[in-house]
Amino acid sequence: MPSHAPTQDSRFSEIESHRPYLVRYALAQLRDRQQAEEAVQEALLAALESVGTFAGKSSLRTWLTSILRFKVIDLQRRSMAERSHVEYDEAATSEDDAWQDEIFDATGHWREAPQAWSNPEGALEQRRFWEAFERCLGRLPQARSRVFFKREVLGEDTEAICKDEGITASNCWVILHRSRLALRACLEKSWFGRQSGER
Amino acid sequence: MSDSVNCREASRILSMAYERRLTAAELESLQSHLDQCFMCRNFDSQLKFLHQASEEFRTQG
Repeated sequence: MPSHAPTQDSRFSEIESHRPYLVRYALAQLRDRQQAEEAVQEALLAALESVGTFAGKSSLRTWLTSILRFKVIDLQRRSMAERSHVEYDEAATSEDDAWQDEIFDATGHWREAPQAWSNPEGALEQRRFWEAFERCLGRLPQARSRVFFKREVLGEDTEAICKDEGITASNCWVILHRSRLALRACLEKSWFGRQSGER
Repeated sequence: MSDSVNCREASRILSMAYERRLTAAELESLQSHLDQCFMCRNFDSQLKFLHQASEEFRTQG
């Protein structure tokens, strides 16, 4: 690392402090830790080079994320050729509702009743809860996980997500609903079920 | 839309509430379902929790 003037040093550590968030962002989109870290590394280096042009109109994190976005898209494009669009075939047909049969019976009732979770607020304070959360997120198929992450974690507009992903709004809603159902079931099993005893 | 909805439909409406404004008909049928279904009330709370947890997930670390 070249030596920096004091002000640049503090800039550096400020930029560096966003690394864990950026890795999480990249990981949600790329689903490969090595690729994610690579993208973040490239983004941070690019950011350090051009930090002088950062006008401070947006937050530093937003600015860094937008740089990272390009790196991620670049990596995605490279691996897109291999993957084609198989991952969305399932989502496209999911509007026929067949996927819901695993969750609801023929009369539309829950096959497994959602439980009352005890002390959900407390869970947010626990490191191990976040590990469980990340695992559950990781269990979603890639496309669904990415859409959920953009919508719920990053708070992006559904419209922007649809455009990015090349899907319709109603497809996007199905994906989100399906993700939420899967996540709640996963958390109930892996975290909240543990506290209230065996089911 | 019919007055009474089942859990499958109620859960879809609950999820949709995070995407767009619900119609009066949706709200009405949802409310009458929730009044008599503790499972969907649990699901409702869980969605709120997921939403909150996701937001905190972003600012964490």
